[in-house]
Amino acid sequence: MTIWWLILILTTILALGSGFIWLVLHIQAQGPDKSKEEITEGYGRAADEDVEHLFNKEFREELRNRGRLHFENILNENAMFLQQDLRLTTSQLNEYMKSEISRELKQAFINYESAITDAKQLAVDSIQKTKTVIDEERKSLVAQLEKEVNEEKARRIKQFDDRMAQVVNHYVLQAIGNQIDLGDQLEYIITELQANKKAILEDIENGA
Amino acid sequence: MVPDADDKSPALKLPDTVFGQAEVRRLKRELESLDDFMRQANLREAGKQPPLPKTSRLLDALASENGLNMLQAADRTKLSAFLEQVDQSAPVLHFSFAADPSVAFLTKLVAWLRENMHPQVMINLGLQPTLAAGCIVRTPRRSFDLSLRQHLLQQAPLLAKAVQEAESAPSATPSVGVRL
Repeated sequence: MTIWWLILILTTILALGSGFIWLVLHIQAQGPDKSKEEITEGYGRAADEDVEHLFNKEFREELRNRGRLHFENILNENAMFLQQDLRLTTSQLNEYMKSEISRELKQAFINYESAITDAKQLAVDSIQKTKTVIDEERKSLVAQLEKEVNEEKARRIKQFDDRMAQVVNHYVLQAIGNQIDLGDQLEYIITELQANKKAILEDIENGA
Repeated sequence: MVPDADDKSPALKLPDTVFGQAEVRRLKRELESLDDFMRQANLREAGKQPPLPKTSRLLDALASENGLNMLQAADRTKLSAFLEQVDQSAPVLHFSFAADPSVAFLTKLVAWLRENMHPQVMINLGLQPTLAAGCIVRTPRRSFDLSLRQHLLQQAPLLAKAVQEAESAPSATPSVGVRL
């Protein structure tokens, strides 16, 4: 719309200029002969005056205002277009970022899942090995413990038997004390001497 | 040691009451004193001899059992030689008892030893109250534990067997009981 107005104004200015030139040429053909310099100078002054007359201060101010408004409109339109482009670009960028991030996240999740699966498998294998080792160690310890328990049991039983005999002997000897008269023991002593007579005789004969 | 078989004179016999080397040495000293006294009495004038010393019961028994007269110098010499030979070569057995034995007990024991082991065997005595009963006999090279303590220790397996039987049949009465 504004462009059409601008074209109309320029066309008007061109028509006025053409009329002015035709008028000058017509006057020059009818006027007295003057030198060319004067004529040219006169045309220049007349052109300046006409221009001054046509493009006066108000007209220039009007043109400036129109140009400012047009420039503001162009700026506003471009700003709107730029804003729309920017929003569209932002939206597309968001979409792109979302898709890229989703893709990267999916890939990362897949990698993580694979890594977790591997780690899980490693952990399961390690636990299985540990369990096997622990089972073997437990069996070994159980066997060793049973062996030691049996040995300790046998040792305790032997110790008990030995000490029981010692305790009973001690008790009997303490209980008897000196209660048995030596005279009553003579028969027992002689019997024992008779049993060891041969050994005592050999020792006497060899050692005397 | 068995007395010398080549000795023409009959071997003297020790009385059963003489059972230790201490008695033999005491007899030797007594016999030497008696011999000295008799020698000195022969040197004195007649009628001035001191009264005859009283001899011990052991010396009397030794002399009477062997038919010796202590007034005879030859018998004293013979007895002295015999005592010297016993002191030097008679076998010695060491007996340990739980309590001090009586003389009668020792007499019976020595009589059996001299009849069955050696006619001149001597004994030394010791005391071990832990024996309870029986004795320990030590010869020059060996030791024979004939005590009740040793006997009980030797019978320890029997005690263990009795305990095992009691464990196998806890409700039953043990086959080996102790009667106090």
